[in-house]
Amino acid sequence: MHQLKQYWVAERLDKDLGDPWTPENVMSFKQVVEIDEKEEFPHSEIEWLYNWKLQHYYVPAECGGEFTSFEEFLAFVRVLCRRDQTIGIAFTTLFWSFITWMAGTEEQKQQLAQYIKNENGAMCLGYSEREHGSDLVGGDLTAQKVPGGYILNGEKWPINRATISGISYILAKTDPEGGPKCLTLFMVDKRQLNPDNYYNLPKILTHGIRASDMSGIGFKDCFVPDSMRIKEEGDGLEFALKGFQVTRTFCAAFSLGAADTALRTTLNFAIKRVVYGKKVIDIPQPRKVLVDAFLDILICDCETIGAARGFHIIPEQFSVWASVTKYFVTTQIETMINSVYTVLGSRFYMREEHDWGIFQKVLRDNSIISMFDGSTVVNLHALMLQFRQLTKQRSRRKPEAIADLQKRLEAIFSLEQPLPSFNGEKLELFGRGADDPLQGLEIALQQLEAFKETTDTDEEVLEKLIVLGNLVLEELNAHDELIANSKFEYGHDQSPELFEVAKTYCTLHAAACCLQMWLYNRTILGDFFAQGEWLVLSLHRLLRTMRPLPYSISDVYVENTAQELLKLYKEDKLFSIVPFQLAHSPINEDRSYATSKLQLQA
Amino acid sequence: MQLQSSSYKLNNQATATTTPVETVQNWLIKQLAEQLRLDPASIKLTEPFTRYGLDSIDAVTLVGDLEDWLDLDLPDTLFWDHPTVEKSAKYLEENYDLADAVSNIESEETVTETPINETQDNNNDKKGWGNLFGRFK
Ligand SMILES: Cc1cc2nc3c(=O)[nH]c(=O)nc-3n(C[C@H](O)[C@H](O)[C@H](O)COP(=O)(O)OP(=O)(O)OC[C@H]3O[C@@H](n4cnc5c(N)ncnc54)[C@H](O)[C@@H]3O)c2cc1C
Repeated sequence: MHQLKQYWVAERLDKDLGDPWTPENVMSFKQVVEIDEKEEFPHSEIEWLYNWKLQHYYVPAECGGEFTSFEEFLAFVRVLCRRDQTIGIAFTTLFWSFITWMAGTEEQKQQLAQYIKNENGAMCLGYSEREHGSDLVGGDLTAQKVPGGYILNGEKWPINRATISGISYILAKTDPEGGPKCLTLFMVDKRQLNPDNYYNLPKILTHGIRASDMSGIGFKDCFVPDSMRIKEEGDGLEFALKGFQVTRTFCAAFSLGAADTALRTTLNFAIKRVVYGKKVIDIPQPRKVLVDAFLDILICDCETIGAARGFHIIPEQFSVWASVTKYFVTTQIETMINSVYTVLGSRFYMREEHDWGIFQKVLRDNSIISMFDGSTVVNLHALMLQFRQLTKQRSRRKPEAIADLQKRLEAIFSLEQPLPSFNGEKLELFGRGADDPLQGLEIALQQLEAFKETTDTDEEVLEKLIVLGNLVLEELNAHDELIANSKFEYGHDQSPELFEVAKTYCTLHAAACCLQMWLYNRTILGDFFAQGEWLVLSLHRLLRTMRPLPYSISDVYVENTAQELLKLYKEDKLFSIVPFQLAHSPINEDRSYATSKLQLQA
Repeated sequence: MQLQSSSYKLNNQATATTTPVETVQNWLIKQLAEQLRLDPASIKLTEPFTRYGLDSIDAVTLVGDLEDWLDLDLPDTLFWDHPTVEKSAKYLEENYDLADAVSNIESEETVTETPINETQDNNNDKKGWGNLFGRFK
């Protein structure tokens, strides 16, 4: 077991699921591809997870469950999604329960905990409507007040698990006049409704996650009692947006799971395939592509694990951090998967040939992550509306505030420190300009300077980190100056350039998270992590997207990173800054693509 | 765009008779007029903000601006819960020491501002809301 306890649940789950390359195992790649082909909801696999009691980890300890930290949660959703995002996403709709844990009454919490733990309950989130998409306030589904409850009318679509779930979180219009208080959120328990008054919409055929229950739900004069209302009438938008802060952040777990499989199955090919008398992995260009993919995962890890822990320490900052993570990680991993397929070659497109065609399925499934639960543009938009405040806040930092900031950074990024329990009541609709990882950048740079005297970090690595770290700071200062001198616009008519500025901000944020993560964990995450060469490469990789830099910063570091990647692959460990043990796989010894029959002649 | 110009007064109102509540109301009207490109005279105290096209999320962002101006911690849903100029100003009057907050703004604005560092120094003489930086130290 890993020395960090928060990774034990994920380790156990992966071990019990067994190696995904062994066809007989539950959720093996062979099986999940078959499920996808059939496009039938994976009932028995989901059942397996319930029997394993994974659902308990979606219920907070104070409500009688096993959920204690988002860091632990992130890790197990990740191993689930490395087998199958469809199942991972279908099971993880349980996570919408956070709305109730955050804003429900004691009674609602008890009811829900009981439903999840003892009745294998599932839920769905009904926010979107066919006519309105991202525009929640524009929705048409109405809830009209009557004695003892409300009458619902309207449809929600497209909704994941709308049909195969017992509870639907429905956002309904209670004030036809509109405005930010016009919506009310209901935790609709279908079992208590008159079945004549609601209906499920037909399965939607989709590009990926084909075995999902993608459908919708409609209500026709449907009575729901007051007890199903979350908080007060008119509070719907507030809790919808706060709930999104939690769930958007954890969409990153879906992406990271897919990333592991995309890279592993490609390695599986590159290590065995021989062309021109050489293994693909030994050709410099593909080797570099695979190293870059590995770096992308490490970078996204720093961003996501930081966010998962940050939730427990600074929930009030998550209107910013959630948007950054949802945008950055999902799009970075999408791009990464698109890059590695150049190494996998033609097999990326085939539905059976290599590892049962898992790659093409990952590619299809994963492409929804950046869209649902707040699309890329919606997240960037939410972020840019806070830019002025962020910039002002950064310019106002006082010495006392900086000391506090440093303490918070340590609590967030130091993986050995225990986390306080999550307090959803502290979520805020806007972050008042606070963004600790980036606003603590100068602190991180000072720590790096101090290392010159105090640590045995390789001098050259440290030198490079300081140079690159200062470039990040320069870019951040340039960002602030840009924002301070630009005209602020309210509303949805933001300039296209500002979306690009927002993307850059997210990239800088990820760079800061990488630095912070390294600073606080050098002694506990193993030699590769400690040496910091990966960090030099990662910062360089991120900065190259925003300023001209030499193509490569060190061939030696690239090679050492390649060696680490191969080591994790051979040992069946997760590609991660916390490379915990996965189920053992016999795949490393068998099949070869080196048969002359398969080879193209040069 | 200048956010903190409290010297702004609605049309012919005499400075001497402006109460803290009115100062806040004037600030809000000026904000709405500028953000939504409306004639300040067309903004009614009792009409919901959304009627003028202020989006839900913009109403949250506006709380941030008001916090900066008054140097107070305010609820993030302030303009959702009190959705007119009149109601929100009244809420502030009832729950905060507005006279104090408003007088701080006025005295602060007369103080010569020392910039924090060079970057922000540059901001002071540029367009936009860069000149805000001088006030927050
Ligand atoms: C597989 C799948 C699963 C889903 N699951 C769920 C679910 O479980 N529950 C649920 O409620 N919904 C779900 N959805 C719906 C999903 O969240 C919506 O599709 C999403 O909100 C986008 O809506 P839309 O495509 O209708 O785009 P619209 O909102 O109609 O937007 C159209 C386009 O306008 C632009 N745009 C929109 N907003 C902005 C902005 N702020 N700034 C700049 N440009 C903008 C973008 O280019 C956008 O693509 C799911 C969708 C799919 C495909």
